Amino acid sequence: MCALALKDIRKTYGDASAVDDVSIDFPQGQLTALLGPSGCGKTTLLRMIAGLEVPTAGTITLGGRDITRLPAHRRKFGMVFQSFALFPHLSVRENIGYALTIAGTSKAEVVARADKLLDLVQLQGFGDRRIGQLSGGQRQRVAIARALAQEPEVFLLDEPMSALDAKLREEMQVELRLLQQRLGITTIVVTHDQREAMTMADRIIVMSKGRVEQSGSPQEIYQWPATGFVAGFIGRANFMEGLADNGNIRVGDVLLALAEPANFINGASVQLACRPEAIRLGAADTGNMVKGTITFIRDLGPVRDFHLDTPLGKLVVEQGADQGRDVRLGETVALTLPPEALRIYPRSTALPPMEMAAE
Amino acid sequence: MMLRVLGTIFMSLAAVVVALPIVIVCSAALNGGRTMFFPPQDSTLARFGEFFISEPVWTRALTNSVIVALGAATLSVLLAWPIAYRLWKTGSRASALLATFGSIPFAVPPIVFGVGLGFFWSFLGGLGTIPAGIISHAVLFLALPLVTISIGLQAIDRAHLDAAATMGATEAVTFRTIVLPQTLPYTISGFFFALVLSFNEFIVMFFVSASAFATVTLQIFNSLRNGYTPTMAVAAVAFITVSIVVFSAIARWGDLPRLMGADQSRT
Amino acid sequence: MTVAHDLAFGPTGPTRATELPTGVSAGRVGRAVQGVLWAVVLAFCLVPLILVVVISFGHKVEGAGWEWALTLENYQRFIVGANWPAESTSLYLGQLYWSMRYAVVASLLAVVTALPFTYLMTRQSRRAQAVWLVFLLATLSLSEVFIVMGWDIILSNNSGLPMLFAASGLTDWLKETGWFDVLRDWGLANPRNVKFKPSEVATVLTLSYLVWPYAVILLYPALSRLDPSLAEAARTMGARPWTVARTVILPSVRLPLIGTTLLLFVFLLGAYVAITVFADPSQHTTAVSVYEHVRGSTLNAPFGAAQSVILLITATAFLVIGQRLTRKSPGAQ
Repeated sequence: MCALALKDIRKTYGDASAVDDVSIDFPQGQLTALLGPSGCGKTTLLRMIAGLEVPTAGTITLGGRDITRLPAHRRKFGMVFQSFALFPHLSVRENIGYALTIAGTSKAEVVARADKLLDLVQLQGFGDRRIGQLSGGQRQRVAIARALAQEPEVFLLDEPMSALDAKLREEMQVELRLLQQRLGITTIVVTHDQREAMTMADRIIVMSKGRVEQSGSPQEIYQWPATGFVAGFIGRANFMEGLADNGNIRVGDVLLALAEPANFINGASVQLACRPEAIRLGAADTGNMVKGTITFIRDLGPVRDFHLDTPLGKLVVEQGADQGRDVRLGETVALTLPPEALRIYPRSTALPPMEMAAE
Repeated sequence: MMLRVLGTIFMSLAAVVVALPIVIVCSAALNGGRTMFFPPQDSTLARFGEFFISEPVWTRALTNSVIVALGAATLSVLLAWPIAYRLWKTGSRASALLATFGSIPFAVPPIVFGVGLGFFWSFLGGLGTIPAGIISHAVLFLALPLVTISIGLQAIDRAHLDAAATMGATEAVTFRTIVLPQTLPYTISGFFFALVLSFNEFIVMFFVSASAFATVTLQIFNSLRNGYTPTMAVAAVAFITVSIVVFSAIARWGDLPRLMGADQSRT
Repeated sequence: MTVAHDLAFGPTGPTRATELPTGVSAGRVGRAVQGVLWAVVLAFCLVPLILVVVISFGHKVEGAGWEWALTLENYQRFIVGANWPAESTSLYLGQLYWSMRYAVVASLLAVVTALPFTYLMTRQSRRAQAVWLVFLLATLSLSEVFIVMGWDIILSNNSGLPMLFAASGLTDWLKETGWFDVLRDWGLANPRNVKFKPSEVATVLTLSYLVWPYAVILLYPALSRLDPSLAEAARTMGARPWTVARTVILPSVRLPLIGTTLLLFVFLLGAYVAITVFADPSQHTTAVSVYEHVRGSTLNAPFGAAQSVILLITATAFLVIGQRLTRKSPGAQ
């Protein structure tokens, strides 16, 4: 059952288009993450869903009802802002109870509901504090409680973790996800942090330049990135360029076999991606073996990164610390690229750098 | 360290020079006779009684001063708010133009504006009436609350308005529950600036009142030809007291340095 | 402060379906308010000034009245006098000259003395600054009549400074050293004793005093934003205090200095009370003349209006020049 649906949404500012032809279904009770680099249009999309901006074209429906032109204060989706936007002139309880208060709810009920929400976010007893007295983590909880106070149908969060420090961020990602699951509320989170998206989401929508690159579960996105952009944005990937050759790919002098024959005309330019942890050091029977020279070793604790120069170009291989070989700098070793770990894409003009895409 | 000492001496000297005429005038209020002597002769508080209670010229003038000042400050704030709000909300050329026009009376030499208002009211038929005086001062000092309220509005985070909207607040409700409370100190200081300045203004009031009524400062101005009397000095005492109280209140409850343009991040 | 108290609303949700879409109702109310605002501002802020301009082209009739007209006689009178071409006088031009002269000297004096004061003030704690500000704002808002009263007493020939001079023997000392004659030349003494009023010195002093707190307030924002580390850096490179002031501080406040001086100048163009009390009648200003002609002894409203326009033009001209000056500088703050 679908709670919220976007169809052919477009948002243009003058000549520039911030969101271009986006259609997404948000299933009831699930947490969907809108993930992408800054400027990809995800925040604009969220604001349109909230009713803070009006789409240039397209429709937004909630449970079948068209709400495209409905202003924000009629939609009343609970929203947590990046800066939390807590009202400094009201106490914690008054902030949380704001939506109910302006709707005319009795004072007693407002207090009761606010206190219940304070329990929910584990801030019991904080009701009378002023906003200025709260830490970053506490403010986030108040913002969450405030957004949920009006029992909204949709829960929106715009980069909710960016104002927190790293350690707190990880904890809150888990907590927020557990809370969302407990309440069963349809939730949309905008983030540029792919780890955050992977941690929290039932489904991830990867966006770039105003368009949807891919939509799927975290594992799907990770294992089967649909475009070169997604492959580079989520996790890390080794990128290689090659030409299609009878269902295989020729990279330089090396012919790489694929799990399934490539659907490209012979001679077509393609881009190959392979995750560092999928590459094996040492020969194996699965084929696609090359030799490479170790140029750099990075010992990160639980894993080790090996940088190699190979006929395929520079590659990075990730191995578990306990896994096998003690290789030295400068050694030449054998590598295997399992065919089922290779992904191919049409050659795009904007090629990610050969070195690692950011984690 | 010589510099430090020099600096302190300089500032103290400046303070003394600035305070001197005021102190002298205030002390002249204690004079027993009709002449302004300094130091005061035959010290008495009788002049205070005259000013506040017994002399109808002065009690009437004081009443007029208060009525005009309160009325003008209120009207000024009421006019300034929609202008400042619109400018903040839309930032449109039209709203900026409106704000500029509204500030012009304060920027031109008061005598010019006074002359103009004199003509204006004589055509409109309001010359010499208190309401005309109130409106004239309200317009004259419009720039003050306009500036202070604008400063206050700048300080509001736009995300707060979005947050209120997602919780069901219409623009009107947002204005009343978020914008107004957060800008209260600025509204108040704008009001008080206008109030104090209106109390003390006499040039525009001269042209607008056309001898039909007088405020305290206007009365003194009119009597200049005949010289000063200690009773007038009582007015000085009253006015400076009001100013000190008002500005101290603003400093106590608001951020006076910030209001006057100081940098937020320092000290 | 609880939001709950003063809010009484109807229910929310589906029952609101009959309400007009917010766009329309807010728009109509908003536009009405806009219209009222524009009407009020145009009527009360601009029309009076327009009236002054229009009336300056008017024609004075016998007695105290005047009529609408489109004549340049008032401006002509300003430049060459009423009886031109029979005889010409530069009386009114002279008054404008004095207006500008007093204004320039007084504003410069105020700014120059206010600058070090404000600088020192901004180095103090926020609380100290607040105290100074209260003090300054209170003196600032005190009516010109009171200020003039005070200075009148101080400079009074019978009981003020001159009396002090005579009593303390200063006058005699001045006579002995020959300075007294110098003062006589400057108009600051009559045969028996020094006299300070009426004189240009007294006028300028009072005017300068009048705008001094304004100068501080106008310089305050710029000086409070001065980065102290700049001055410190200069000192670590061997600059003595005066050099630091000259090479680091003054250049960074050049623009606010010019701006402040201009604003004070414009303000002083309209000064009235101090002039009438402290200036010799032969050195009166256009502002005084405006008063005389509009409500004073020689009623000639159109002429008064014309002089007001001249004042306005002078003020605007200086402001425009100031704008040009300040815009020309590269890397302006």
